Parts: sequence; C-alpha cells; structure tokens
Amino acid sequence: MKSKKAGKPQPDAVLTEIIRNGVLAVTEEMKTNLTRTAYNMIIYEALDFTVGLYTPEGETISIGLGLPMFIRGMAETVKAKLAHFGVKGLRPGDILVTNDSYITGSHLNHFTFTLPIFHEGKLSAFACCMAHWMDVGGVLGGLTTDIYSEGLQIPILKYQDAGVVNQDLVDIIAMNVRVPERGLGDLRAQITALKTGERRFLELLDRYGREEVLGAVRNIMDQSEAAARGRTRSIPDGTYEAESFMDDDGVDIGKRIPINVRIIKAGDEMTIDLTGVSAQVRGGFNSGATTGYGCAQVAYKCITSPTDYPINEGSFRALKVVLSPGTVVTAVRPAAMRVWMTFPMTVVDTALKAMEQAVPERTIAAHHADLLVGIFNGVAPADGRFYLGDLGPTGGGWGAKHNEDGMCATVCMNDGDTHNSPCEQVEAKYPVLFKRHALRDDSGGAGRHRGGLGSEKAVIARARMNISVRVDRVHCPPWGLQGGMAGMGNKLTLTLDGKEIDDLPNAKVYGRPIKAGDGWSLFAGGGGGFGPPHERAAAKVAHDVRQGYVSRQAAHDIYGVELNEQGGVDEYATRRLRLKSA
Amino acid sequence: MSKQNPSSLRLHTRLAADIGGTFTDVAAFDEKTGRMLLGKALSTPRNMVEGISTGVAKAGTTYAEASLFLHGSTVAINTMLERTGAKTALITTEGFRDVYEIGRINRPDAYNLFFKKHVPLVERALRFEIKERMTAEGEAYIPLDEASVHAVCDKLAKLDIEAVAILLLHCYRNPEHEQRVRAIVEKRLPKAFVSASHELSQEYREFERTSTVVANAFIGPRVSRYIAGINDHIRSSGFKGSFLVVQSTGGLYESHQAQVQCVRMLESGPAAGVIGARALCHEMGLGDAVAFDMGGTTAKAGVIYKGEVLTTGAALIGGYNQALPVQIAMVDVFEVGTGGGSIALVDESGALRVGPQSSGAEPGPACYGRGGQLPTVTDANLVLGRLGADRFLGGEMKLDVKAAEKAIYEHIAKPLGVDVIHAADGILRIATTAMSYAVKAVSTERGLDAAAFSLIAYGGAGPLHASAIAREIGQQTLIVPRAPGHFCAFGMLYSDLRYDYVKTWFTRLDDAPFAEIEKIYEGMISEGKAALASSGIKPTRVTIGYAVDMRYVGQEHPVTVDLSPTVFKRRDRESIKHHFDEVHQQRYGTCAPDERAEIVSLRATVTGVMKKPPLEKIARGSKAPPAGAHRGKRSVYFAELGKAVATPTFARDELRAGNRIDGPALIEEYASTTVLLPGDKLRVDEFGNLVIEVGKRSK
Repeated sequence: MKSKKAGKPQPDAVLTEIIRNGVLAVTEEMKTNLTRTAYNMIIYEALDFTVGLYTPEGETISIGLGLPMFIRGMAETVKAKLAHFGVKGLRPGDILVTNDSYITGSHLNHFTFTLPIFHEGKLSAFACCMAHWMDVGGVLGGLTTDIYSEGLQIPILKYQDAGVVNQDLVDIIAMNVRVPERGLGDLRAQITALKTGERRFLELLDRYGREEVLGAVRNIMDQSEAAARGRTRSIPDGTYEAESFMDDDGVDIGKRIPINVRIIKAGDEMTIDLTGVSAQVRGGFNSGATTGYGCAQVAYKCITSPTDYPINEGSFRALKVVLSPGTVVTAVRPAAMRVWMTFPMTVVDTALKAMEQAVPERTIAAHHADLLVGIFNGVAPADGRFYLGDLGPTGGGWGAKHNEDGMCATVCMNDGDTHNSPCEQVEAKYPVLFKRHALRDDSGGAGRHRGGLGSEKAVIARARMNISVRVDRVHCPPWGLQGGMAGMGNKLTLTLDGKEIDDLPNAKVYGRPIKAGDGWSLFAGGGGGFGPPHERAAAKVAHDVRQGYVSRQAAHDIYGVELNEQGGVDEYATRRLRLKSA
Repeated sequence: MSKQNPSSLRLHTRLAADIGGTFTDVAAFDEKTGRMLLGKALSTPRNMVEGISTGVAKAGTTYAEASLFLHGSTVAINTMLERTGAKTALITTEGFRDVYEIGRINRPDAYNLFFKKHVPLVERALRFEIKERMTAEGEAYIPLDEASVHAVCDKLAKLDIEAVAILLLHCYRNPEHEQRVRAIVEKRLPKAFVSASHELSQEYREFERTSTVVANAFIGPRVSRYIAGINDHIRSSGFKGSFLVVQSTGGLYESHQAQVQCVRMLESGPAAGVIGARALCHEMGLGDAVAFDMGGTTAKAGVIYKGEVLTTGAALIGGYNQALPVQIAMVDVFEVGTGGGSIALVDESGALRVGPQSSGAEPGPACYGRGGQLPTVTDANLVLGRLGADRFLGGEMKLDVKAAEKAIYEHIAKPLGVDVIHAADGILRIATTAMSYAVKAVSTERGLDAAAFSLIAYGGAGPLHASAIAREIGQQTLIVPRAPGHFCAFGMLYSDLRYDYVKTWFTRLDDAPFAEIEKIYEGMISEGKAALASSGIKPTRVTIGYAVDMRYVGQEHPVTVDLSPTVFKRRDRESIKHHFDEVHQQRYGTCAPDERAEIVSLRATVTGVMKKPPLEKIARGSKAPPAGAHRGKRSVYFAELGKAVATPTFARDELRAGNRIDGPALIEEYASTTVLLPGDKLRVDEFGNLVIEVGKRSK
C-alpha cells in the first residue's frame, strides 16, 4: 500500500489515519501517566497541565489537554529550548527545563520539561510536559507587583544531561519551594510522562518507519490545515473589531483595562490583531506573548475545527497573529504574572464577539470568563494545623448561540475537563459550611436564545481564617449578540458581623481575615443572550418562569411575555406588550 | 438449593436469559445430563418475556424444569437513556436543589462552543427543598423541620408524582433525616416509588449521590413492573424456583430486591460477560485477561486481574460528555465507539475515518440490503471474504457483497484512488488499531500492561477482529469461548449472590477509631446477611470482602485497598498504611510511605457463593479436524500476505477437543466467525474453547 515516489515516502490515507490515532494515543497515555502519578490535586483534579509531541523543529504534532488556554505554551517553550541549545547541543538522555514566565507566557508554577526523542541517533521529535506545581515560593496568597515576588525562576537548563540529573538544580528547587517533596513528586510525574511519550513514539517509529511516520505527521498537519482553510474561506472577507474591558488589576482599583481585538479575514487566511489590548498592568494579571498567540489560536480553533481535527501545527498555518510587546498578553519582565489566566479568557470572548459581524451562526455570546476560586487559609480547630483551602472553581453561564440557549453553570474558557469540588468534600476537609450552591435566577442574558445561568456559592466560616478572591468581570458583564442582552456580571459579597456587604468596588480581596460566623459568597455571571428577547417564543419564556430560571417580572419587563395565574402564556396580553415596545 | 427444595429432583436446570438490543440469549445448564443448552431469539421490545420464552423453547427446555431463573436486561439502562421513566420529584436540603443541574461543571470538548451538558432526569420545577442540615460530622446543624416536608408533600400530591427521590447533605454520615423524610413521604404518597440516597450509596459527593437516587426513582416504577411481569409469566408457565437478577457488579440479587434497588442492574448484560470470562479464566488456570465484547455499535472491554474482575465505585451513564453518574459498585467496563456498524468515510480534508458514527441496526451496513448506503466495518469484512455472504446467522440472513463493494468503492476507494480490496483492508486496519489503543488505555489507567494479558473475545463481532487486536497489543493468547454469541447468558450461570455496601467515614488513619469502624463493618455485614436471608436461597457458603478507600492527606482521589478483617481486629495501623502504599505504588507508580494517610470510605461485600455448573466437555478428536467440520475454502484477503488466498473454513460445532488448525482459516458458527490470521495456531480445548496462539505481527 506504500506508494514510494521519489524522495520521501508518501504514506497513504490508511497509514496516515493509523498514525493520527497513534499520536493521539501517545499523548493520551502521557496524560494518563501524568495524572495518575502527580502528587498535587491541581494536576490530577483541576487538570492544570498539558502534554504534547513536537516535531524536531518544535511544531506541534499532538497535544493532550489539560489546559485549553495553554494551547501554544509548550510549542513556544520547545522552540525556545531548541534555539537555546541548538540541535547540536542536544544528546540522547537530555531533559530540558524552564519555568520562565516570559517563555511559557504564564505563571511560574508552570514547570515545563522537554525530552528530545532520538531514533537511531537522529533527533526525531520532542516530548514535552507542563504541569502546575502547588508552590514555587514567593509571596503567599497576597498581591504581587513584579515577577521577583512570585517565586523561584528557572531559566532554560538541562535538568538531565545525557542521563545525568543536575543535582544542583534539584537542591536549588528544594530550598525555594514551600512543600519541596510535593514539587519534586510532581517533577517525577512529569518525567514519567515524558518517558511514556518517548517509548510509545519510538514504538510507532520502529513499527512503521521514521520517514513514514514523519510523512504521516505532515499529512495530518496538511489535513488539519486544509480543513481550517476551507472553513476560514467560508467566512466573509472583511475587518471585524470588538472591544471590552477588565475591572482592574487589584492595585489601581476601579481603573478599567481595555481589551480591543481586530480580525482581518481575506481568502482562506485570518489575521488576529491584539495590539489593541491594554499595556501590561502592575497587579499579577499579565501573561506573556505565548499566551497572546494562545488567545488567537483558541478563538480560531473554536471557529474553524472545534472537535473533528486534533490540535497540531497545521491547524494554525492559515492564522496570522499580530502582537506588540508590553501588553497584558505580551508582558515583559518584570511584569507580575501570577493570575495570568484571567484576562486571556476575555480576549478570546472579545474575538468571538468580533466574529458576530462575520459568522453569527458559528460564534457565541460572552461567558463569565473567570475561574471564581475562593482560597482561604488558617489553623484547623480539629487538629491545630495550618491549612490552605479552596472551594474549587465555580460554574458560570455560557453565552447563547444562534440556535440554542447557553449552558448553565459551566467552567470558564481557561479550563476544560476541570471538575468542581463537592460541598460535602470541602466541608469534611475545612472549617466551612455552604449555605447554598445554587443557580442564580435571572442571571442569564435575555434573548431569542437565553444565556446560561451562573451559579452561587455562599459559605460561612466555622473558624477564624484569611480569605482571598481574585475575580474580575464584575463591571463588564457577559455581553449578548445580535440584540441579545448581557447576563449578570461576576460578584463577591462578604458577610461580616451578620451584615452583608454587597457594594465592594470589585471582586478582589487579598488575605482578608474573617472570623467564625462571617462568610462570603461568590456569584458567577450568566451568559449573554442571542437575538432580541422579544423574539423568544413565549412558551419558552413560560417554561423558564415555571423552572424559576427567569422571574415573572423579567418575563414581563424584558421578554414582553404576560403569564396567566397558572403560569401559561396570556397570548393576547403578550401580543399587546410586544407590539407596544416594538 | 436442592437441599431446601423437596421437588429438587424435578428442578434440574438453571436458566439464564440475557436481553440485548437485538437478540435475547438463553443458556440453560442441565444438572442431570451436564449439558449446556442454548437458544437465541429476536428481542421483543414490546413484551420482552416473549423473546425469553422463544429462546427457552429454542434451547429445548422449559421453565417447569428450572430451579433458578437468572436474568439480565437492558430495561433499566434503556429506561434511563431513552428517558421513558416515571414522573419523578426530588426532595433535597435547602439551598441545594440545583446541585443536580450544576453537576461537576466540566467541559470535555474544550474548544466546542456548542458543547452540551448533562440534562437532569428531574426538571428544576420538580426539585423541592426542605429545612434541615447535617454537618460533615453528622450533627444536625439545622434540625429537620417536618412541616417543610409536609408542605412539599402537599405539592407533590397535586402533581401526580409517581416517584420521589430523597437526597440530604451528609446523610452518609447520619441518615436520620433521610429516614424520617422517607417515612413521611411514604405515608403521604402511598402509591409513589420512594427512594432515599443512603439506601443506595453512603458515599460522599452530593451530585453523584443525587444522580444515583434520582436514576433509581426515575426507572423504578417501570423496572419493578417489568420484573413483576416476568415473574408472573414464568410462574404461570410452571416455574417453581428462584428468580434472580444480575447486577452491574456481575453479582446476583433476588428479583424483589431488584424491584427496589433498580439502579443496581443498569449494566447487567456486559457485567455478566466479564463474569463468564472470569469463570473461563478459573477453569483454564489464567490469572490475567481482557474480556473483549464487540457487537454492532460498540466494543466493550473489562479486565480480570489476578483472577478477579476489576470493579469501580461509580459509572458515567450516557457517554462522558453528558453523563449522568451512578455511584454504585460496577464491573469496570470500558466502551469504544467501534463496532460492526461503524461507518467509514473520507472527510473534507481527504482523511479516512472509521466511526464513531454507526449505521446501527437500521439501516445497518450496506450489505444488509436494508437501505444502508455507507460502507461499514461489516462491509469491509464481507468484501475481504472474512464473512461468508450465505453463512451469516447460520445462513438465515443473506449478505449482499455487491452492495458492500459499491459502498466501499464510491465512498472510499474512488476518492482515495485505491482498489476496493485495499480500501476494505484499510478500514479494518484503522478499526483494529483504534480498538487496540483503547484496550491498552484501559490497562494503563490501572497501571497494568495489556500485552501480558490473554484476550477473551466474544459478542457477534469480537472473534472477527480479536486476533488482529491481540497482535497489535502484543498479546500471545486469544480465547474464543464456546458460543461467543451467548456468552453473557453463559456468564450468569457462574455468578454469585452479592451485596455491596459503602460508607464514607473520613478519618486520619492515625486517629482512626477502630471500635467505631468495626461497628460500621458489622452493620454493613449484618445488612448483607439479612439481604441474603431474604433472597430465600441457601448458598454453599458466605464470604465477606472488606476494603477501605484511602488517600494521602491533601489528595482528592482515594484508591480502594482490599484488606483482611484481621488488620482491623489487630488495630494494625502500620499494616493498613503499608497495604495502601503498595496499592498506590502499583496503581500510580509512586507512593509516599512518609506521608500521612486518611480513610475516606469503608466498603464491605457479602457474597453468597452458589454452586457452579461444571463446564461441559465436548467429544475428543484427533489433531486433524473431522471431515464433517470442513466447509470448503473461500478466497480471503490478508494484508499479512499481501493477497487473497483460498482459505479453509470450518464449522465450529463439528470441531472436537484436541483439533488443531493453523491460520489462515475461518471458524464459523451460528452468530459469529473467528478469523485465524496467518501465523496463528489454534487448538480446541476439552470444553470446546478455541485457544489461539497469536502469531507475531510482521512489523
């Protein structure tokens, strides 16, 4: 079945598909081995990691997610390492490392290891693994304003040189992180993942031949590219722009941070221009250029090939990304990067907003765009020990689309297969008690298709503790599209001495002490609506009211639907109401 | 059983009936003759018992002769997946009625803007809250306000609610509130099917427990009617024995118990197959095997490790992305979306894809001639000669080779510029590698190496692909059991009565209160023994399994550690910790002997061991298969040889113990065909199993 043409072999469609499934299986197995050997739960529960295979040039062959927003982080890191050592500087048995924020584009917790895979003496691929370490030193929980306060920085180095571990490096790490046995445990898990990738990829090379496999990889990339180009071509040519803003950086409270995105579509190519996002900020909400690329790639992937083509270099050949240095998604030293993941989600949301003008049927209204994690620490009354606790991520509303309502209470764009934490689990571990974990009525943006509802977690402290919340998008609630309305924004309220404080200027508190009986509530925003609310079928509005998703008042005031006492639609009154405001 | 029943001399068969989507399979073991009788009938969805009766008749036996009627059915899972259950309400703790809708908030398809979440079986308007609250320590933070329960009951009475599910927070630690609410609801709504979560799962995780109890209530009325209907029917047909149902663990429970804890029988069919594979392993002296069941739309794999079936404490029903979890013990069955009906296509970018779309039973593969136009895995098998056009289902169904060739030519061969044979071979190779990756993934997750396992293949399509899959994985032994198309019914005959209990009990191992732990175990075990007694069956012996879910302090995921009861009696913390470290090492490749550990949940399994029928032996023959087994040759393409060769075919039913056949060859039987690839060496064992030494793959 192999048709050997002159020069490099041209693997046929069957071998190409076998290799496509094969490289996916390799990265899935890397992922399995990482999650099952990792020590900290951010890796195996929140899936804050990414594993992948890369060509000898550093191009993405296959990625195992992980973290959807880290789509680009490893390719850039592999390329940086390759540039640093050169092909000649790499030997079998090497493992390269860095956590340089300005290379990975994210925070220092993302230790990234890379293993060059040699087949019969030839550099044939790289296996790479990023995973979030629980602690990398630096200020505990508080506000940071530069990278030096955020922890240990490791430049590009060889963790292992021709099979020999760099013990000096290990000792430096051990002295600089708070729970070294865990950090080093995660390091071992990452190495296991890399070796799994190496072994399984070499099996493919042995089985099918090096040139055949690399040829198949080229075919796979070409297929991804062809699909992406085809779907890009069907988008009308033009320049599309959208803007939004972030609340603030936690330092200059109330100072809005503008996010402008410009998309130029011509033929089968797309350019995403992010030069219009804000200059980097003082608080730790910055991310590096890698994440700037990542934002553009995530938006592009969502529009062109969300499920049917794997992530590889070919998927993005027809995408051009324009960045200028020193913005919140291209930050340069010494910008603080600890909360790197929050702003990029809104950049993606804004890019999808720009696509409204071009392909409304393929895009989506805005979502809550924040993880909404509440973290707290204190001394547990049960055993007198210090603990670091968290409530896990909170699900918010996703935007409506041209054909359906948005999803309720779902994790934000930064995360994918991340799970929340059961209340029963959190209460058994930490001295807190949930009053409610509920959907927020009326939080979904009104529209022909309604935005999804956000959710609320209301918690009471059962002992003295310090709480930190770093939530944004309070003041820029998830917008609607095509006449749909915005959902409710994110929100934080505190209950102190029995009094609820719900007029905080933002949703950010850093290490605030509270006592037993005090509490806090995290409210995740609702998704934006799609299309004018008056076009929503009255029966659907009645259904929403019956379920309590929408109040009777909102049904009347916003949707123009009058319900009778039984909850059914009063057709006549509804028609009048809708005519009047038309 | 014979001891307790005076009419035992007449009751000499054990009947097992497995209802699947397409077929109802019956296996009967006749204790008098030592023979296994088999019957296969089309399933009769409108009145399932008809199919069973036809199958029993086809097997040549009667209900009146049976001491046991064992049953597995898709009724529970179908009621859930097709959402045809009862009008159900949920009663839950104030502030938490949306937990069931919020779920775990994950988005598995990370870049899909059109992703969909799970859809609850009970809409929000039918989820009611009552005033009460337990803490994680099991103390009443807010006492139960019975007036609030009555207020909800007033509403339910007006809404024609057929079933009520009750979930209160932390009831696993203290079920008093749930028990009281249940009593009130039963009194107020005497006709409703009422289910409280602590009766099914005393394990933490409120979403999963809610989903479990709601599923039970939702399917309860229909499943209990179904079981009652079968019971009436077989009793009126002269059945005088015990009616037992297969649970998702592969264990049995009495039909009255199945009418209450319906959710325990969700995966009864697949579980029974894995139990059958375990029985085969015991008989053949095998420790480790992968049980591989491939049918029309999916392939399923279960794992037998050191002679025991691997189980899991929860399963996701309805596919990962939109799953409704069920938090009860189950055989750990992994499903792959590749079956005989998987569709092959060349997509817009020129890539050749196989599945996950399936042609289903209707219209089915192109070769079925029922209107299917798209090429499938079955069509590829036919075109390559692996399936015989006039041998399918014993010749009862003719396959259309021309239609298969046409579909493959138009949709695959032509766009790719290859011939039909190469296209068909490519479809099979892609399907094979996809399934082998999936089987490898199941074992990797468990820290096991699939290559060292034997493969036991059954289901209609399993034996067609098993040798190729075994080669791909590097497995050396493949076993195709006798009657692979009846294997799930066969497996039921080797099952035991089984009752599983779990109770979450968070405690650091260092401060574990052993007296209390022993009391909890005693409670679970006496409950299990009571359930066993109420089944009316006297097992040959009762065994009790103890296990504990543990994790290192700070971790989220616990692992289940099997423990002997003596370590608790000895209050031996060190030994418990050591066991846990070992299990962690085996499963995850690392452990931390210096880290503190905590107990999350206690598990007990009470098993009533049943007398097993001996495997029926078949007649002995010589090395060469008898003349009657030869069914001529047909041209079959093998990629290993790069060409089609005249390949001998054999009638499985005519083979004798000791017969040997070298690949390439085809072994045909009523509902299945076993493909022997070049290099494979087959021998027929004394029980009629095909034991195949798998040839090495060429590269």
